[in-house]
Amino acid sequence: MAGVTIKGLAKSFGKVEALKGVDLTIADGSFVALMGPSGCGKTTLLRLISGLDMATRGSVLIGDSDVSRTPPEKRNIGLMFQSYALFPHMTVKDNLAFPMKMRRSYDAAERDRRIARALDLVRLPAIGDRYPRQLSGGQQQRVAFARALIDEPSVLLLDEPLSNLDARLRDDMQMELIEIRKQAPITTILVTHDQTEGLTLADEIVVMREGRIEQAGAPRAVYADPKTAFVADFLGGANLIPVSVAPATGGGWTAAAANGQSAPAPAPPGGQGGRMTLMIRQEHLRALKPAETAEAEVQGKVEAVAYRGQTAQVAVQALGQSLRLIAPPDTAFAAGDEIRLGWSPADSRLIADGSQRG
Amino acid sequence: MTLGAPLAIRAVAALFVVLMIVFLLAPLVVVMAASLSAGGYLVFPPQGLSLKWYAEILADRRYQEALTTSCVIALLSTAIAVPLGTAGAIALTRFRFPGRSAAQLLFLSPLLFPTIVVAIGLLILASRLLGGSSIAVIVAGHVALAIPFVVRTVGAVLEGVDRATEEAARVMGANAWRRYSLVVLPQCKSGIMAGTLLAFLVSFDDAVLVLFLRTPSIDTLPLRIYASLEFSPDPGVAAASTILILMAAFVVLISERLLAGRHVVG
Repeated sequence: MAGVTIKGLAKSFGKVEALKGVDLTIADGSFVALMGPSGCGKTTLLRLISGLDMATRGSVLIGDSDVSRTPPEKRNIGLMFQSYALFPHMTVKDNLAFPMKMRRSYDAAERDRRIARALDLVRLPAIGDRYPRQLSGGQQQRVAFARALIDEPSVLLLDEPLSNLDARLRDDMQMELIEIRKQAPITTILVTHDQTEGLTLADEIVVMREGRIEQAGAPRAVYADPKTAFVADFLGGANLIPVSVAPATGGGWTAAAANGQSAPAPAPPGGQGGRMTLMIRQEHLRALKPAETAEAEVQGKVEAVAYRGQTAQVAVQALGQSLRLIAPPDTAFAAGDEIRLGWSPADSRLIADGSQRG
Repeated sequence: MTLGAPLAIRAVAALFVVLMIVFLLAPLVVVMAASLSAGGYLVFPPQGLSLKWYAEILADRRYQEALTTSCVIALLSTAIAVPLGTAGAIALTRFRFPGRSAAQLLFLSPLLFPTIVVAIGLLILASRLLGGSSIAVIVAGHVALAIPFVVRTVGAVLEGVDRATEEAARVMGANAWRRYSLVVLPQCKSGIMAGTLLAFLVSFDDAVLVLFLRTPSIDTLPLRIYASLEFSPDPGVAAASTILILMAAFVVLISERLLAGRHVVG
């Protein structure tokens, strides 16, 4: 086991700069999710750490040793591919034995013991003699995971490991992944475009954009305090409203939207007013009942109500744009109704950058 | 042909297909029928039915020797063409290098150029450098003819092999040799087997190249058939030809099976 340190790492494919100088320190034993839309450089970063691609500039350290020029076969890494990459011509046992044979880690008896233990760990004790094509997608996924872990690599890399599974199986597997990792706390780097997956699994998330790290930190911290509108938007459920912020007459701050509506706002970053983005997450907005009041209130007009089973998602025209909010599923109003929206300014955030989306 | 096409067009199409089949199969049917003749002349339709000409040629020493020579040449050519063609297929599908498309054409060129050109070229080279032809020169020629088939059969299967399996093996500590011998090539097994069968057949069936490069002591089955036809055209010639046809049909069937739907020969 070892931590991973990345220094000024860059990679160009021809004229395309996929990674533009990334610095990142991943603590020994932690679980980090590299997240971002496709083309943000997350997969490139993972491949540079694995050694399957060589960096144009910068270095990769595993533990204390610089592996930038070490080929992947000598890096002692476990990598699980999106396609699982199980060897179709080998049984599950032979697949699992492969890394141990290649690295001559153990004798045959110990290999068999480890294979049995690994299959127990992924709850597939009876499938050792089957071929990958005889397994379901979920079973293949677990075998691939066991194969990546079996030789106790110093770092475990997971490339979109759950994206080929259906939603229910994915939820189960996420829980299982957390369980398995408790028993084998290896430094793990996960690449995903699914923000929920990253938030669920990782100790630290790294949101990437156009070959750079946009923001890194604990999932709750990044979700609550996105530094840019891009991060807020990527992590999902954010209403991003362009506003102009000024000190309020009775102290505090006021945010005025383009349509003339205004509401109390939190303190702006840097303590200076001006044009910025107000972020209100959809779970923090509520439709106020007639007698109900809130610290921040605006009038709005319901555009649409989408019933979602456990909740209803409501679109309301207010503050000059369409805002989304999560309401109880039995919400009584319909499109066209005038309602009051309320929220707590402490739950909202002002973000300094002007750009809304990547 | 779609189900919605007018009846007339479908009828014409069906007729066309039937004519094509007749056109393609007629020569084979004639030869195979003639081989079953009980009479002494190579004619169609056969006079009576018997397998006596098969017994005749199988007992004929000249045919036996020709068959042996053909097999030896075909086995040697196959043994050389398959590893070379497989290596070529790997290079063409797995690596990007300058002149790759030129190399691709080069590997397929023996399919495009007349065999006779290859034969004449080899004959000139052999007389100049080796003082004459030999089994080895013929084998060299057949290797050149067979390589395109191996490149195409192996290449077709290799295209379908998930590159991630190769990378996974690499990350798991396998060096280049082990990645190919344990992971990539075993996944190409069906293509390599189909390539082997086709390479054997290309050599076994060849008459043109051998005709140019033979020495007085070299006689192969197709040449023996040709010689017999010139001097004693009896149904034995048809029987020997039928053996060639059946072998070819068998090989094509097996390789179609192995490659299951991937088009390589056409």
